[in-house]
Amino acid sequence: MSAIYLIVLLAALGCMVLLDHRFALVFWRRAGVATAVVVAGVVFLLAWDVFGIGLGIFARGENPYMTGILLAPQLPLEELFFLAFLCYLVMVLVTGADRVLEWLRGRS
Amino acid sequence: MTYVALSAAFLGGALLVAAIAVVRVAVVAGAGALAAVARRWWLPALVAAAVVLLLTALFDNLMIAAGLMAYASKHLSGLHIARAPLEDFAYPVAALVLLPSLWSLFGALRLPAHTVSRLAAVSRPVSWINTAFPFAAAYYLSIREVDAVLVVGTVFFLVPYNLAMYGVNDVFDYESDLANPRKGGIEGAMLDRRLHRVTLVAAIAVCVPFVIALVLMGTPAAWAALAVSLFAVAAYSVPGLRFKERPFLDSATSSTHFVSPAVVGLALADAAWTPALVALLAAFFLWGVGSHAFGAVQDIVPDREGGIGSVATVMGARWTVRFAIAAWLAAGLLMLTTPWPGPLAGLLALPYIAIAMPYRSVGDERSASANRAWRRFIWLNYASGFLVTLILISYVIERPLS
Repeated sequence: MSAIYLIVLLAALGCMVLLDHRFALVFWRRAGVATAVVVAGVVFLLAWDVFGIGLGIFARGENPYMTGILLAPQLPLEELFFLAFLCYLVMVLVTGADRVLEWLRGRS
Repeated sequence: MTYVALSAAFLGGALLVAAIAVVRVAVVAGAGALAAVARRWWLPALVAAAVVLLLTALFDNLMIAAGLMAYASKHLSGLHIARAPLEDFAYPVAALVLLPSLWSLFGALRLPAHTVSRLAAVSRPVSWINTAFPFAAAYYLSIREVDAVLVVGTVFFLVPYNLAMYGVNDVFDYESDLANPRKGGIEGAMLDRRLHRVTLVAAIAVCVPFVIALVLMGTPAAWAALAVSLFAVAAYSVPGLRFKERPFLDSATSSTHFVSPAVVGLALADAAWTPALVALLAAFFLWGVGSHAFGAVQDIVPDREGGIGSVATVMGARWTVRFAIAAWLAAGLLMLTTPWPGPLAGLLALPYIAIAMPYRSVGDERSASANRAWRRFIWLNYASGFLVTLILISYVIERPLS
């Protein structure tokens, strides 16, 4: 057991925060809306996980990289951070791509 | 159910939200605005999709190779991108469909920054535990393990249930709340008329996913218990029913708000209905009836001025305080019939009776002074909750699940 995976996820989340802060993409665009969107997204994906676990489709793997802290049977603490990262990443990608495309159009 | 079917169900949910977002823009802003949104966002969405799918292909394989998760092959379609099941890609696709749609919907709400904190205040955070704890304790004591039902049910009875209960209440109590200064602080939150619509929408929106999940996970007995619980939440204050203004029905409905989460938990856990369990629930119910009646005493004057009925406005302060004392006493006596360590909880009736006793002969005109006892009552609840928890823990230790 270790916190490696959790630290990697937190570092990735930190990178999203830096991008967001620098380019005002998600939380630095509209903090309240961003919070509601990410919370709703995480709840939605967590429900998906819970059903997948309950139906026996997937489970936590055997590995030395996780803390071993479980939110529910087979649902590790890390999954919460992974899903938050996925939601944040998607919003940063969509708003970030918009920003990049705008910049490219401005140059041409 | 296979992973394909599960993914299709959740992708369908995400698409439904997207459809609602599209229809909303078309209806509110017109087809031209919708076309403008599409023109602006199709390319960024496509780029984001390409990047996130590429990242998923890379990192899902890495995560599987590292053994972070494992799959039951019999539920998989068998299609893979290297080692990653194709179904895994439904997660980022659903996120891509759902999140920007939610952004559009939530963004359109144009909530003032303080609305969310106002809604949180409306849900009475000091009371969250009062409904979540009965559910969690009843369910956990019945099956003795932490599972998805416990987590989903506890979260539901912690926040959404309270937002629905107090939100609906505050919206329809607006007029009488205006006449009652006590409702602005710890014991309640007076709700600006502009927030009425968003409160009702938010209450329904946060409850629906949890109710669907609990229905899917429960038996018909649990559905019935949940239906009674939700009916009590609405019937207490919606116009037409207004059980809170019908003497005795008001106290019974209020008590149901706190007892029904426990009954839902027991039904979800398929618990055996022993006489001791029925006695315990009856005692809890009587305690709730007495507590509600006592709480109504302090509001007699403003309630009468607002033309609102309650057990206390109809029966008078003196009678109602004595009724509350009798209900608490009966609850304590019922607990004496339960097996050890249940009778210990019966003793907890005594401090409640003690704080109400000084008001046993209070006149209606001085009934507002009972607020002093009500403040003690709120703190006493935390102390009793702590002691009840200790009793439950000793019950768990003494009686392992057979």
